[in-house]
This record gives sequence, structure tokens and C-alpha cells, in this order.
Amino acid sequence: MGQNRRRFLEGASAMGLAGIAGCVGGFGAEGDAEYQVGMVYATGGLGDDSFNDMAQQGVTDARDEFDLAFDETEPGSEGEFDGAQRDYAESGEYDLICCIGYAQTDALSGNAPEYPEQNFMIIDSVVEEENVRNYVFGEPEGSFQVGHLAGLLTDQEFAAGAGETNPEESVVGFVGGTESQLIESFQAGFEAGVEYANEDAEVVSSYVGDFNDTAGGQEAARTMYQDQNADIVFHAAGRTGIGVFQAAQDEGRFAIGVDDDQSLSNEDYADVILASMVKRVDTAVYSAIESVVNDNFAGGETVTLGLEEEGVANVYGDELGDEIPQEIKDQVAESRQAIIDGDIDVPSEL
Amino acid sequence: MRERLERLLDRLVRASVLERIAISVAALFAAVLVGGVLVFVSGGFASCRSGLDLAGWTFCYNPMQVYYELFLGALGHPLEGGWELTNYSLATTLQQTTLLIFAGLSVAVAFRAGLLNIGTQGQLVVGGLATAVTVVYAAAVVPDGFVGTVVLIPIGVLAGALVGGFYGAIPGVLKAYADANEVITTIMLNFVAAGVTSTVLSWQFQDPNSNNPQTAPVPEYAEIPNLPVVGFGARADFSLLALAFAVALMIGIAWLFARTSFGYELRTSGVQPEAAAYGGVDDRRMTVASMTLSGALGGIGGAFWVLMVHGRWLENVPSLGFDGIAVSVLAGNNPLGVGGAAFLFGVLRSGERAIGTGTGVPPELVVILTGLIILFVAMPEFFRLFGRRFIRTETRRVARTDGGEGGEGDE
Repeated sequence: MGQNRRRFLEGASAMGLAGIAGCVGGFGAEGDAEYQVGMVYATGGLGDDSFNDMAQQGVTDARDEFDLAFDETEPGSEGEFDGAQRDYAESGEYDLICCIGYAQTDALSGNAPEYPEQNFMIIDSVVEEENVRNYVFGEPEGSFQVGHLAGLLTDQEFAAGAGETNPEESVVGFVGGTESQLIESFQAGFEAGVEYANEDAEVVSSYVGDFNDTAGGQEAARTMYQDQNADIVFHAAGRTGIGVFQAAQDEGRFAIGVDDDQSLSNEDYADVILASMVKRVDTAVYSAIESVVNDNFAGGETVTLGLEEEGVANVYGDELGDEIPQEIKDQVAESRQAIIDGDIDVPSEL
Repeated sequence: MRERLERLLDRLVRASVLERIAISVAALFAAVLVGGVLVFVSGGFASCRSGLDLAGWTFCYNPMQVYYELFLGALGHPLEGGWELTNYSLATTLQQTTLLIFAGLSVAVAFRAGLLNIGTQGQLVVGGLATAVTVVYAAAVVPDGFVGTVVLIPIGVLAGALVGGFYGAIPGVLKAYADANEVITTIMLNFVAAGVTSTVLSWQFQDPNSNNPQTAPVPEYAEIPNLPVVGFGARADFSLLALAFAVALMIGIAWLFARTSFGYELRTSGVQPEAAAYGGVDDRRMTVASMTLSGALGGIGGAFWVLMVHGRWLENVPSLGFDGIAVSVLAGNNPLGVGGAAFLFGVLRSGERAIGTGTGVPPELVVILTGLIILFVAMPEFFRLFGRRFIRTETRRVARTDGGEGGEGDE
């Protein structure tokens, strides 16, 4: 019995090894595309239906367009950024390394001078090095737009989809990821927009401390809807924001998405998403890759994508957008033009 | 059936060191084979530009290449041209090895004393913060340059060890004097550690120049220095001196177990607490002492994570402490075995990255592959550790029945 089993094991493993060896024809190797791009995502990770997924959208668009292959890393914490960037830079096979998110600033400031031949791009931050192209967005302007919309709607009796406003109270909410300069600039713009629409409206805000804490986002938003009588909550919190949508649905109120048109990327919540403050991270990633492919990558520059460049915009929800009264939409469109013309000054700090 | 299982378990428990190594190597090969098939088959469901066409299917992932990257990529591809011994991948491997030796030793010390310390992670977290804060503040009064290096690093490591040790002593005291299960308390204290350090950081020690939750950096001369000529580069985040210290510590703990009365009492308490107490061991003091030592080792791990890898403490410390449990189990809780187990983990961690950049295999699959290897290699040891209790009672019963008639046939 033992003899048989041993013989079988020997035979099977020999066959297995031979089989594997026989199958290896050098397939599965990378480097068959002309261009290689390395993506280092922010800590929220892919599947956030907003920031990181937008960045991935940009690189997949580029792949469909050019002879390009890309690799991705999703660091779980800030400490991993340095290693993730260096893994790509060290291999020397990547034409561009995309660093998604301001949290990578420290790591990139250290790495960019170490690898002067390597092209980098960073979203939402500025690293002043010759081989880094910086992309920043006009978040306060975009947030002002959705703030304006929220400020106008909270005053009215408005019901659509699964939500309705509370006309007696004029309260709107803001849920942020971590308490950082960038996320505070969302809040600053949002508050200014609400105030512009309605001086009596109150804005309540909360920071969950994490971009990847759906339960925390739900808790924060639920408090706003239940205890503080908020009608509409805007989030700038990555995957944490999905919790805000859940809370909105549970409470029959509204939410405003961020980065991506979240009424499309999170269809399940389309019946509570009034609008989204879209931030075209995909455009930034795509255009950086395009410049590498066209051999005109300009390092050391900072590109600002604001309302005028359509880098940020107020995009109405797919399901609820049609139900929002036209006069409100007109007012929001007017304030957009006023910001572009410089008639409205949007603060970027609290 | 039951008898066969028992025989198998008995065989495992009685295996010699050489046999155990042979079993581990065989398990490694088995894991590679199973993982290889898994990689190959999942390649059939992926899409790629150049795959292997077989019977109408396109297989994208090449198992041979994946394992080539996993094991040789972790060493920096020694078979390819332009290889240097002091390459970045090998530095990553050894960096992880060094840190996991500390974490593994921490778990092993507690385990040998009969305590399951799941709290190495928390001890490492608080120890690391203590190190960073101590060094940042001490740097203000200590002269810089070589003197700074010689003074600050020992102070930093000591601070990590003290605070880690204190944090380990808490569950030890709770166990000894309030009979609180150390598994529960150490798990809970991990959460407490994460929460407290996070609060303390934002209250006082946050680096004002950064948006990320982290302390101010320690001065460059307070980071673990690299050896000139033979050492790794300054940006490698790894120093041979640190590895040497870890190995020395490993040998020190082995010596402590084998040659000192404290080590003897500790091991006896782990194997047979009643016998130890009968032999004059104060079991309460022993519980506190071994948990303190375990915590101090975890704290030293945190200190090296700070002083060698990042040069500062960051929130969201990687799960070195939890990996330490696996390292310790893999090593059969033998201090000297911890080195080998930590190296295997280091290779897997570094190899994971090499696969990420070298092949199209998704990271999730890579984690499954390394998980399979750990599972296969650790399982025989795991069964051995637990089988030992089972078999011992068994032999005792056999010995008793041997005195009468019929011998073993009474089951």
C-alpha cells in the first residue's frame, strides 16, 4: 500500500514537473507592449468607485488608445508608498510612474531625485522636481458648485427618488476622509457655496479619519441626518463615502458624490445621489501618459484643472438630475460662470 | 482510521530535526506544485496579449515564471546579468527578515512559557512610537555626527524595549494576578495600542510639515548606519548591522533558554506549570517576566522599524507582529528556527513585489500563492505542536495498561 502510494506520488510529481516545463514557452512575460506604466494608488484602493477608480479609468483609456501595458499597486498604508514607488523605479522598465493622491508627496519627494531618469506624475500635490509632472484640481471651485446646489435645495420642499428634503430646517452636511489641507479645501468651497445660496443655512461637518471606512462614513452621515436634521450630505472621503450613500438611503435623504459621477458608478444609490463633484483624475492620468507617448513629457510643471478647464464640475445625478428644478440649475450655472470670470472668490482654506 | 491518524501524529511528534527539515522542504515543493496549477488555471480566465493557446483556451500566467520571480526576484535575479549582491530586492528581503526575527522571537518567548502572546503587534506599535519620540527629543541635546549615532541608537532601542516590555507586562500582570486570559487581553491591547498611539500622535508629535499621520523624522545620523564597502546603499532601508544584532539576539535567547536557570524555569512553566510550581518556580512572577521579555522584543522590533526603515514612526504600522506569530509557529517556537522562518517570510514578501512588477499576475493571486506556501510549511509544525499534548497523554495511558494484560488493545 505504502509502496504503491509512494510510486504514485513520484510518478505524479515527475509528470507534473515535466508538464509544467513542457508548457513553458516564455509566455506570460510582460514587456511586450511598447510603453509601460506603473500605477501607485491612494490608500482607499481600487473599488472605491471614485478617486482611485477614476485614475484607473485614465490608464485603461490610455491602454485602449496606445500600445501600452500597466501594473498596479494598492498600498494599504502611507508607509508603503515609498517601497511601491521604488519597486517600479528600481526595475527601470516603466516609462511613467503615476502616484495617485497627496499622501504620496513625502515618498515622492525622496524618490524623484534618486531616480532622475524616471518620469513621475502626481495627482493632488506638487513635488518640485525636474522629472515630476504635477496635477492639481480646483476642488474648492467644484465644491462651491455642489454647495450652491445643496444650499438652494435644502430650503425647498423637494422629493425625488428615495429621498426628500426637510423644508423646516436648512442644514446640510459634509463628511471628509482625513483632516488634511486638501480635504479641508473641499469643505471650505462647499461651505462658501452653501452660504452663497442661503445665508441662513447651516453646514455641519465631520471627519472620519479614513478613506476606507464605510461603516464610519455611514455612522457620521446617520448622525447628521437623524440628530442634526441635515437634508443633503456631501462627502469627500473615497470609499468611506459609500457609507454616506447607505445612510442617505436608510434615512430617505440626499447625498452628493465626489470625484466620479457616483450615480453611475454606484447605481444602487442613484436614487439618493443628487449630483457629484466630478474631478477628472482620469483626464490627468491620460494626458500624462499621452505626453509620454508623444515624447513631450514636461517634468517640473504643475497643471491646474479647474472649473474652466472642466477638471472639476458639478454633474447632476443620472436618476435625480432631471427632477431638480430648472431655475436651480440655472442659478448653479450662473455661479459657475461667475467663478470662471472671477466675480466670485472661492476660499480654499477653512 | 483513528489509529492511522494517531500513528501519523505520533510519527510527526517524534520526527528528528533532520526529518522535520525534510518535511518542510517537501511541504514547500507541494505548495509550489499546487500553487503552480492554481496560477496556470486562473491564467485561463484572464485576458492578455500573449498567452499560451491550449485546446481553445488562452492561458496567461506562466507558473514557472511566477516562481522564478518569487524566489529569485527576492534575491534580485542572481542569474541575470548585472547582478550585485547589495541590490534593492535583497535588501527588502533581509529588511523583512530582520524585523520578523524580532517579532518571531517575541511570540516564541511567550509561547515557550506557555503563553499565547497575540499582542506583539501592539507592543511593536507603542515601542516604535516611544523610540521615534525619544530619539527626536534626545537629538536636541546630543551632539550630532558619530557621537549622536552611538548615543541615540542605543537610547532609541532601549526606549522601544522598555515601553514594549511595559506594554507586554500589562497582560502578564492581568494573567498572573487576575487570571485574565492572555489571548483576549493581548488581542484587545492591540486595538488600544493603535488608538492610543494615534491620539498621542495627533495630540503632540505630528510632523507639522506633512499631511500624513507621522512623527517628525529622526536625524539622519540616528538611523541605523550602513557598513561601508560591503554594506547596502543608504537608500536601501536595510543595514547588515541590524541583521547582525537580530541574529545575536536570537542566539542570546537560545542561550537563555538552554543555559540559564531563568530559561529553564520559563520552559518548565510552559511544559508543565504544576511541576514548575512544585519545583519552586513562582509562576506569577514567571508569567509577568516572560510577557515583559516578549513585549520588550516586540518593542525592539518597533524600534528597528523606525530607525532602519522609515526614520520616523507612521500610523498604520504594517502587521509585523501578526506575521511574527506565523514565523514562530513555523519555527516550532525554537529561537534559532525563527531566523530561518523569518528569512522564508522575507523572501515571500520581497518576491511578492517582484511578481507584481515582473509578471501580469494580479496581487490577490500572489497573496494566495505565498499564503499556500506558509500554510503547507507551517501545518506539519502546527500539528506537531498540538499533537505533542495529545500523544503525551496517549503514551501515559499505554504505559499504565502495559502493566496489566492485553497491552494496547483497550481503545
